Amino acid sequence: MVFSVAWHFLHDRDLAEETAQDVFLSLHTHLAGIESPAHAGFWLRKVAVQRSIDAARKRSRRPQVALEDVAELSVHPAPGDPMLGGMLRRLIATLPEMPRMAMILRYQEDLDPAEIAETMGIPLGTVKSHIQRSLALLRGKLERRGVGER
Amino acid sequence: MDWLEQELAQALARKEPAAGFDRRVRARLHRRPRWLAIAATIIVTIGAGEAWRQHQGQLAKEQVMTAMRITGSKLNRVQLQLKGTEQ
Repeated sequence: MVFSVAWHFLHDRDLAEETAQDVFLSLHTHLAGIESPAHAGFWLRKVAVQRSIDAARKRSRRPQVALEDVAELSVHPAPGDPMLGGMLRRLIATLPEMPRMAMILRYQEDLDPAEIAETMGIPLGTVKSHIQRSLALLRGKLERRGVGER
Repeated sequence: MDWLEQELAQALARKEPAAGFDRRVRARLHRRPRWLAIAATIIVTIGAGEAWRQHQGQLAKEQVMTAMRITGSKLNRVQLQLKGTEQ
């Protein structure tokens, strides 16, 4: 879960590995404060989110892309096509950091918006807005290419 | 979940780190004390330097005080001699 959050967010295996290691080293120093396995899971996810965002900010000085400016697709895969998965990952990678993390927590971790809000430390309404806007944007981009018409 | 959300759930399925992740974390964990030792050494060195500077400052202050005491007693003696001369 920790590595996966970092990998999907950073799209860099080495940086994701380093970030995940940092999270577990941090857990080791905070073990005394961990009350249960469920608390450990919540703690790990929360710190993975924070460290991944920090790592992305440190790594890149590349400008954040506005949600509306996400790249257009150049090929036309169909639902269920493995290429579509790769394409979706690339599209998500170009989202601004907060919507990107909200989408990862929603669809990788299967968290509901309230849990995402708690994990990311942002208002519930903001989480819902990030997810709705991101989905609408992805859907629009895919449908314009004829993807999604079953 | 509609088709897009299903595709997203598949696309963002969990990924595992390369084999040996646990070992690499443990290796870093064991490297930590060395860094702690280095950090402790640096802190002690800085602390010792500060203590040495304070000690030197104290010595200098004592020397100044001694010099002032000597000067004071010499002045007293000169004043007494002057008084004796006047009388």
